[in-house]
Amino acid sequence: MLFHVARCVGQLAVALVGIVTVAFFLMRAIPGDPALYMLGDFATVEALATLRARLGLDLPVWQQYFVFLFRAVQGDLGTSVVTGQPALTEIWAAVPPSAALAVSGMLVAVVIGVPLGVVAAVRQGSAVDVAVMLVALGGISFPVFWVGLVAILTFSHALGLFPALGASSDAGFWTALHHMVLPAMVLGLSVSAYIARLTRSAMLEVLGVDHIRVARAMGVPERRIVWKLAFRNALIPVLAVIGVTFAWSLGNAILVEAVFSRPGLGSTILKAILARDYQLVQAGVLVLAAAVVLLNTALDLLYGAIDPRLRRS
Amino acid sequence: MTAAFELRGLTAAVPGEKGAVRLVEDVSLSVRAGETLAVVGESGSGKTVTFTSALGLLPKPGRVIAGQALLEGEDLLALPPEQLRRRRGARIGMVFQDPLTGLNPVFTVGEQIAEVLRAHLPISRREARDRAAALLGRVQIPDAARRVDDYPHQFSGGMRQRVLIAMAIALGPRVLIADEPTTALDVTVQAQVLDLLGDLRASEGMGMVLITHDLGVVARQADRVAVMYAGRVVETGTVEEVFRAPRHPYTISLFRSIPEIDAPAGTMLAPIAGSPPDPARRPPGCAFAPRCFAVSDAHGCRSVRPDLIGAGHFAACHRQGAIEVAA
Repeated sequence: MLFHVARCVGQLAVALVGIVTVAFFLMRAIPGDPALYMLGDFATVEALATLRARLGLDLPVWQQYFVFLFRAVQGDLGTSVVTGQPALTEIWAAVPPSAALAVSGMLVAVVIGVPLGVVAAVRQGSAVDVAVMLVALGGISFPVFWVGLVAILTFSHALGLFPALGASSDAGFWTALHHMVLPAMVLGLSVSAYIARLTRSAMLEVLGVDHIRVARAMGVPERRIVWKLAFRNALIPVLAVIGVTFAWSLGNAILVEAVFSRPGLGSTILKAILARDYQLVQAGVLVLAAAVVLLNTALDLLYGAIDPRLRRS
Repeated sequence: MTAAFELRGLTAAVPGEKGAVRLVEDVSLSVRAGETLAVVGESGSGKTVTFTSALGLLPKPGRVIAGQALLEGEDLLALPPEQLRRRRGARIGMVFQDPLTGLNPVFTVGEQIAEVLRAHLPISRREARDRAAALLGRVQIPDAARRVDDYPHQFSGGMRQRVLIAMAIALGPRVLIADEPTTALDVTVQAQVLDLLGDLRASEGMGMVLITHDLGVVARQADRVAVMYAGRVVETGTVEEVFRAPRHPYTISLFRSIPEIDAPAGTMLAPIAGSPPDPARRPPGCAFAPRCFAVSDAHGCRSVRPDLIGAGHFAACHRQGAIEVAA
């Protein structure tokens, strides 16, 4: 078990360095100059050169990279060139609303997707199965911003059930929740489609194996066979897809935040990219990547708890 | 004395391109309490299908289209699903061929046995676990009290089969169906598992159906034997009768195909030429006719389906009595 944990942590470190490196060079590859952005089109050549030197932009890119990496491992991700605040502080401020949205979205996805997938597998070929798979196909095919707009038109505009815009940060819990329903549903539905499809195929596979036949021959009730004996076997692929879709859903969360005008990482990072605010973008990417990698590490540890065969080192 | 378990005219089929394809046809068998009935035949002869059908476990789209499966006089196939479920595992147990895949990898063996107990009895989790440990002891798993919390992958093949046997006898069934229980095991372990089954049958007074293709196992373990070919019973009788004087050419050929340890060196085995017919394309007469050494058009082997005929010892062959037996 200890070995398992150590391996997961090692993978986490490698993944983070890799992602940050890619983000660093991608940002440098985009045309544009933060100094020019800050000082405007009429800045003198000398002023620009001075600012570049102060920001460390006069060094060759590979030197900039090592300076960045050296500071990053010490927890210093630089300061935002736009606000002058430490980049990490700036990003942290945007995390709570995004985290709330992503977690709510995943909750919706799991609560809807997993049971639907199980039911579709048990009643393979039935009307329920066909309906679930059709909805799943829709969820996968329609882009989340389109679904978001349709949801606003239907539930806010026509029916007036939920607000179309994000809540202000000082609103109470119930108000915040009321504002969360629509974005979380929009974000969760598309992911639930993936989860339902995968749960269905995982369950179908498990329901055909020998030990399920044994359980039936022993008179174990079908309900227990499906929801306990088979389900725990199907859980590992289901958790794996939850891990994969979480990354996908963070990307979608940015779109959903834009559609519903919600504050969060989405708008913060978007603005930073447009301003060529390298430090802020890097900090944002690091936080997003850390979230994805941490979730997957947690899932890896969970696999061991579910399947005893994975516990052996 | 009535049979503990009796099949009457059991016929199971799957839908095919040209109507129903009969996997097993008109199978009648019975086993008394305390007795072992061996069912032999090559792969695909319908041994397993017969008994999975009788327990209502035939995978879709297969279904039973005729016949009865009487457990102490009660027809299982006429019961509503919930009533049938309550009989399965409780009054009739089944042990399957492959112990490596027969246990759920993500639950401890104790949890799996407890699941079976709790499916039929209103007992607490704790009591179920204690009973599971006791059952592991009964199937001679060493250190059962500790091993009850182990997972299947921590057991060897033979030990896993013991766990599955413990599950099958957990509720004291009147009948135990063992479907090739030793085929997947090491030769050295096979005898141990068969002895265990024999002991349990004797101590519990269960009727046992032993599905096998090993005639040596039949000779050692069984009281009576039924030989199946192409979905039908072609010969049945006591082990002594069938082994001493087999009547059906298929049975005779089976005996001839076994290697004998005291045969002179260089003696060739006599395999049965050809292969069993596809269930969808069985010949109109006797299904064994194309491979039979005694086939005769004059007796209608290729046109008329033979019935099981006899008293005590039955065979389904037009030529029985006329065949020279050199077994």
